Order: sequence, then structure tokens, then C-alpha cells
Amino acid sequence: MRRSIAQLSLLYVAAVVLGVASAWLWLTRVGMSGVDAVIWRTNLLAGSREADAYTRARISLGAVLALDRSETLYYTPEHDDEGNTLRAECRYRIDGTPPPARWWSITAYAADNFLFANAERRYSVSGENAPLDNQGRFMTLVGPNAADTDRSWIPTAGTGGMRLTLRLYGAGEPLQRDPGALAAPSVKRLDDCP
Amino acid sequence: MSIAPRRWPVHVLLALLVMALTHALTVWAIPRLIMDRIITLGGGDAAMQQSGTWVYLPPPTDHTQRRIVMPSPDLLYATCAFDVSEQPLRVSLDTRYDRYWSIALYASNSDTFFVVNDRDAPDGRVDLLVKSPRHAGPSTAAQTVTAPTHRGFLLMRLLVNDDPVVRAAAEAARQALRCSDA
Repeated sequence: MRRSIAQLSLLYVAAVVLGVASAWLWLTRVGMSGVDAVIWRTNLLAGSREADAYTRARISLGAVLALDRSETLYYTPEHDDEGNTLRAECRYRIDGTPPPARWWSITAYAADNFLFANAERRYSVSGENAPLDNQGRFMTLVGPNAADTDRSWIPTAGTGGMRLTLRLYGAGEPLQRDPGALAAPSVKRLDDCP
Repeated sequence: MSIAPRRWPVHVLLALLVMALTHALTVWAIPRLIMDRIITLGGGDAAMQQSGTWVYLPPPTDHTQRRIVMPSPDLLYATCAFDVSEQPLRVSLDTRYDRYWSIALYASNSDTFFVVNDRDAPDGRVDLLVKSPRHAGPSTAAQTVTAPTHRGFLLMRLLVNDDPVVRAAAEAARQALRCSDA
């Protein structure tokens, strides 16, 4: 009898552990659904009252206090242009045309979703400070060191995953209706990573 | 005496049910636990609350800010946590800040339930009453919004850059925000 009770207890404890673990793995390891603009993905329910339970939980873990898309569109690339996972120890060149929004920015975050420590206190580029070439395109470097520090550069630190976020405040109505139509910036890895 | 072998399939099925329920409960609880933490941290200290207004003005965002994930380094923030179970919350602002700003209200499950920005309020004024569904009666506030949950969080965002003049104007604007009992 005692042995059976122990086995039953183990069964139900395992059920609870598996329930919590499966939820955690699903929320943290399975990518968020959304609309893709090439490699950049946006979730249309972020910050919205219409969000389902999984979206709400994922947003809480990775971008809590997000605004809904009528106020802000958030895009995150799933990988670089070649399909490789973004890494803090690699250098990337991001270039594109300024998106149709009242204000935009691209910010680099470490795997823990906080800003990279850097003495220059440079964490993002935006429509205010991104230099444009004569074609009206912007270009910025993201990585641990830049080949040309005169150019726009977001320093990273350490090793491991990296997350980029493109924020569009006051995006134009056509883009709010069809976020997949964004002229998405390219994210090109510049060299081999260690 | 032991549990009959024929009962084990029943227990396995029950265990699968427990697993499914625990999975669902975890997904449901995560945003509420995170918001509970944010509301607790973002409510300012007791002295601020006793003074009748409890807006918290966090320092400018940099890599040392590790309270809330994905902080924007291009924004200056002001926050206040609220609980409208006893009485409504009055939110007011009077600013001439000529760049983007917004005030967003979040329920305790993390949903945004109200947003106003500088284009919605071109005169720079906000006068808002946040109440629970059971609060009835007239309000003198210009706008009334019903909170879906008693506890919640207000987040004001102000777009800034490195210009000291802009920084000073944003600082003045966020100091003009008031959260108080109605």
C-alpha cells in the first residue's frame, strides 16, 4: 500500500512538473506567431486586449508593457538575412529605408532582453540620428567592435543571443493595416564569428 | 493492500488532466505575476503615496535599468501604480512638450486598456478618471475610463534625444503628471 501511494504521488508530482515545464518551454522556445516582413516579425496582438493567453504570456516575458499597433508597431528579426541566429559576438550591418512612421528606432538587446552595457551609452539608432546616404537609406553597424567608428554603430558585449527591435511610433495607416508590407531593413552578418 | 492494477489507467488519465491544467494555469499566471511585480515596484514609496500623488520618475534609461525588459533608451518614463478598488484614480497632465508623449494604462493581466498621446491631446492637457465598474455617479473629469481590473499600472513615455534642452523639457513634462485619489 505504502509503495502504491508513493508511486501515485510521484505520478502526480511528475504531472505538475511536466505541466509547468511544457508551458515554460512553449513560451520561451517556440517562436511567436505574427506577420513577417522578410526576416522581421511583428505580433499584431501585442499589448492588445484581444491577445490570447499564449501571446499575453510571451509578451509579458519578452516585451511587457507593449503598446498596441495603433500606437506602436514592434518588429523583431527571427535571424539574419542568411537564416543564422543573431549573436552578440558577431558584427552585422543593418540597412534600409526609413520606415513610414512618425518616429522609428532600432535597438539591440542582449539575450536577457536588457540593453548591452557600453561606455558610449549607445543603444539604438533612430530616425533622428541615423545618417542617410544620397539614396535616402540608412546604415548602422551592430556588434562588439566597428570597422569604422565614424559610422553609426550599436555596440554589443559578451557572447550569446541578441535581439533587435524595430519600433515604429505612429506608423502610417497602410502599414498598420498591412504590417507585412514594411520595406524591411536587411541584417547582414559581416564576417565569421568565433 | 495495494491499488488494483486496473485502477492505474484512471490515475494516468487523471495525471494527464493535472498536467494540462497546470500547463494552462502557468500560461495564465505568468503575465499576472509579472504585472504584480511591476505594480509593486513601480508604485513609488509610501511617502509619495501619503503626499496624495505617487508618480515615480525613473532615471533616464540605460543599461543599468534592469527592472522591466526591453526598455527603450530613446524614451523617458514616468509611472504610477494604482488600485481603484476603493476609490477612482485621477490622472492629470498639463504640458507644452512638443514631441511625442503618451500615457498608457495597463490592467493587472498586462493588457493595455487606454492610451492617449500628444496628438490626441494637442493642447497638452489630460484630465482622466480611472474607475472600477462598481463606481457610479458623475465625474468632473474630462474623460472617464473603466479599468477592467482593480490594480493596474500607468506608463508615460516621452521621446527624448541627447539635446539637453529636449531632456529638460521632457523632465518638466513628466513632472507635470499627477496621479491621485479622485
